[in-house]
Formats: sequence, structure tokens, C-alpha cells
Amino acid sequence: MKRYTIQFLCMLLSMAILPGCSKDLPMDEDGLLITDRAECYVSNFELLGADFITVRTSNAVIDTMACTIDVEVQFGTDLKNLYPQFSLASDAKLDPKIVGKVDFSDLQNPKVYTVISGNRKVRKPYTVVISIQNP
Amino acid sequence: MKNMSYTFFRHIAILMFSAIFFSSCSEKEYSIPEGGADLQNDVIKRSLGPNLVGLDIEFAYAMALPKQKGKILWAQVEASIAGGEETYLENKSYYTHSGSDEINGGTDVGVVIGKPSENQGAKTIVNFSRDTSAATLRYFYDVPEQARGKKVEFTFTAKSSDGSTVSYKMGPYQIAVMDMVLNLEASDNQACYLSIKDMTFYSAAQAATRPQEIDLVYLYRGELNSFGHALVSPGADRQYLPQVDLPTGLSRSTKMRREFGLRDQQLGNPKYGIYIDDVDFQQLDVSDSPNYALNLKEEAGAWLETQDGTYRAYVFVNKIDNAGAKATLSMKRYKLK
Repeated sequence: MKRYTIQFLCMLLSMAILPGCSKDLPMDEDGLLITDRAECYVSNFELLGADFITVRTSNAVIDTMACTIDVEVQFGTDLKNLYPQFSLASDAKLDPKIVGKVDFSDLQNPKVYTVISGNRKVRKPYTVVISIQNP
Repeated sequence: MKNMSYTFFRHIAILMFSAIFFSSCSEKEYSIPEGGADLQNDVIKRSLGPNLVGLDIEFAYAMALPKQKGKILWAQVEASIAGGEETYLENKSYYTHSGSDEINGGTDVGVVIGKPSENQGAKTIVNFSRDTSAATLRYFYDVPEQARGKKVEFTFTAKSSDGSTVSYKMGPYQIAVMDMVLNLEASDNQACYLSIKDMTFYSAAQAATRPQEIDLVYLYRGELNSFGHALVSPGADRQYLPQVDLPTGLSRSTKMRREFGLRDQQLGNPKYGIYIDDVDFQQLDVSDSPNYALNLKEEAGAWLETQDGTYRAYVFVNKIDNAGAKATLSMKRYKLK
């Protein structure tokens, strides 16, 4: 009986200790893991209207060298209430964060979003250039 | 020590096995539930969604007593606010057809139990002429204008020949403030001027006589990119009113937000269980929205607020006709002031 009790206690102790043995990984100020990845680019871009339907007339053109995103939106699009969606390289993040609707109505001053690599050492500012479809 | 632990675990195993075995072996024989000894009643509310003025609130009122005790004499419903003229308690008791054929199986079959109901103020009464000890009658409360924005309660009562009376209270139910209009026909360049106040489309000549009541213009421009069927404020930028010759004086600007996927059940889509209610209008904010909604599709819609802030509304597109440059629209409207 004593042997069973000791075995049981050892098992419990192991369960408590083992998960705590992993090495602490570094985290950034947002609580995201900092990894070894240096890739830093936008792989896809979507733009949704206030009705959550895409306002693009065609796929956005992403130039990873010039760091620009050219997108044409439908005639009549409400540019003050748009939801941009970025697909990024693995472990990368975006600054500023997108937390809701974004006003893109100032076409003379396009919005700039900075992509930050997984190792947080590479930063690339992407400019979102919007043009409006002719009616 | 070894013997002791073996005995201990053996007893535990037997105990657990017994617990599982015995708990799964009990068998309960089904028996038909005993009916009550006296007159009894019950009510369910059949209609769903917001209670709108002009529509019905529907209930099913069931009453029964043991056959040897007598029969039902009358049934009555009293509303806290008298219903409209169309309020009635059915003089038929319904049961579900048990046939297995496709035509009759599962359908409601009505059996006449008395004369049609009479409305006496807030009361609606059916006197039974059929000798029956059980019935389920449907009650349709035609929501009157006086009930708008108020709460309504109902008291269902039945009396049997043995002198018993039973009652059942339902509610209170909130009556919506909003209005609804269905299937407005809009036609490009004809009946295309929408007044939210009147919930009607007017022609150009009619619109010219009431310029300050015209909130939107319906137009169809299939030849233009991303335009199609549209609702545009008379005060919108001219590029959104192509080839539109506005009658003199039309200048109102109505803020609106296009919506997809919001298919209100009452506005014409019974297959969806979505309802727009007063609270949606109370919380609506279209202050930073444009004054037009282009490229409207079938089953799309638009939230809007009139320029003077008197009304908020949701316009739903029931049907579009590209060839005829027409659309069928329905609307829920909430008065703010």
C-alpha cells in the first residue's frame, strides 16, 4: 500500500514540475513572442466597407520593394468607414494596430502602416494608396 | 501488506462496477399521465418578434376538464388595452392531423365549437355550442394604435358546466414604437422620390409639391460601374445623381449605411429569424455615414436617419428588376421626436 502511495505522489510531483521547466521566451510590449524570423512584408491586403463586404474592384497590388499597396475601390465607397485587413509574414506585427474602422478619406495623405518582423529588428513602412473607380 | 492492498483495490473495483451496473439497470415503465380532476387551462404565445401596431399577436389557449365532469361553456380573453377591430378568438379548436400522407400529415385541422367570437370592449368571447370537454382556441390580438410604446397584458378565462372557472395571465408584452410598411414599389424616373415621413414613393410632380418631405431618390443605373440600384439623397453630390432632373426645392440630406446579411423576418424574409426592434434604432449612429447607398442588391438594406433627426429607418430590398429598372422595398421606421 505504501509503495502505491509513494508512486502516486511521485507522479503528481512530476506533473507539477515538468511544465514549469520550459525555457522563458522573450516577449514584446504586446505580449507577443519575439522569434528569430527576420521576414518583414505584407502578403495580402483586404479592404471591407461598413457592411463588411469588400470594396475592392480587383486584387490589391502589393509592391514589397517600394513598400506600397495600391488598391482601387468601387465608385461611391464610403472612405470614412473602412476596415483594412493585412496578412503579414510569420510572426510579424503591424503598427499602428487596427482596432476598428479607419478613415481613408484623405487621399492626398495616404495611410502608412509599419510591418515589424518577428525578431522585432526590421521595420518596413507600407503606404496604402487608394484610388476610386470611375463610374 | 501486499494482501491488504490487493483486497483494498478489489473492493474498490467491485464497488465501482456495482454502481455502474445497478444505475443502468433500472427500468421505468411508461404510463399515460393522469389528467387533472378539475377544469384546467394553458396558453402559449405563437407569434415571434417585435409586437408592431397593425400586426397580430397570436396565442393558443387550451382548456380541458374530465369528460364526466361536464363541458366547456365559454372562453374569453381580456386585454389590458382593447385590441383593434380585427381582434378575435377563433371558434375552431385545432388538432394536428396524424395522417402520414404528404397532404394532410401534420397539418392543423379545425373543428367548429361555437359561433364566431364577439368583442366587448377589451374582452373577446366565444360561447361554445359543441358539447366538448377540451378545446384549443387561437387568439389574435390586433395591436391598436393606442398601445404603441406601451405594455399589454392578457387574461385568458374559461368556464365549464360544473361551475368551475380558470384563468391564465400572459404578458406584459412591449408594443414597439416603430412602424412598418411592406412592398413599396420604386421605379426609376417615375415613382422614385421617397418620403420617410409618409413611407411612400412619389412621382416628380408629386414630389415638387412637398420638397421638404422627400428624403431619398431611387435610381437604377446599370450601365455605370458599381451603381446599380441606389438610394441617394436629393442633397448628395451631383455625381451620385446622374441624369436625374430633381424637382425644384429638393435638398434634404439623409445619412445612410448600407447593410448586407440583415434579413429581417417581418420585412419579408420568413426563412430567417432576425428581427429589427426599437432598440436597434435607439442605438443607431449614422452620423459619419454618406448620404447615399449605391449598388443595393436583393436582400440588402440600408440604415438611415432623416436630416431633421425625426426618423430613423431600415430599408430592406425585397426584389430588384434590372430590366424594368424597378425595386420592391420594405421599411421599418422609428420616430425619434
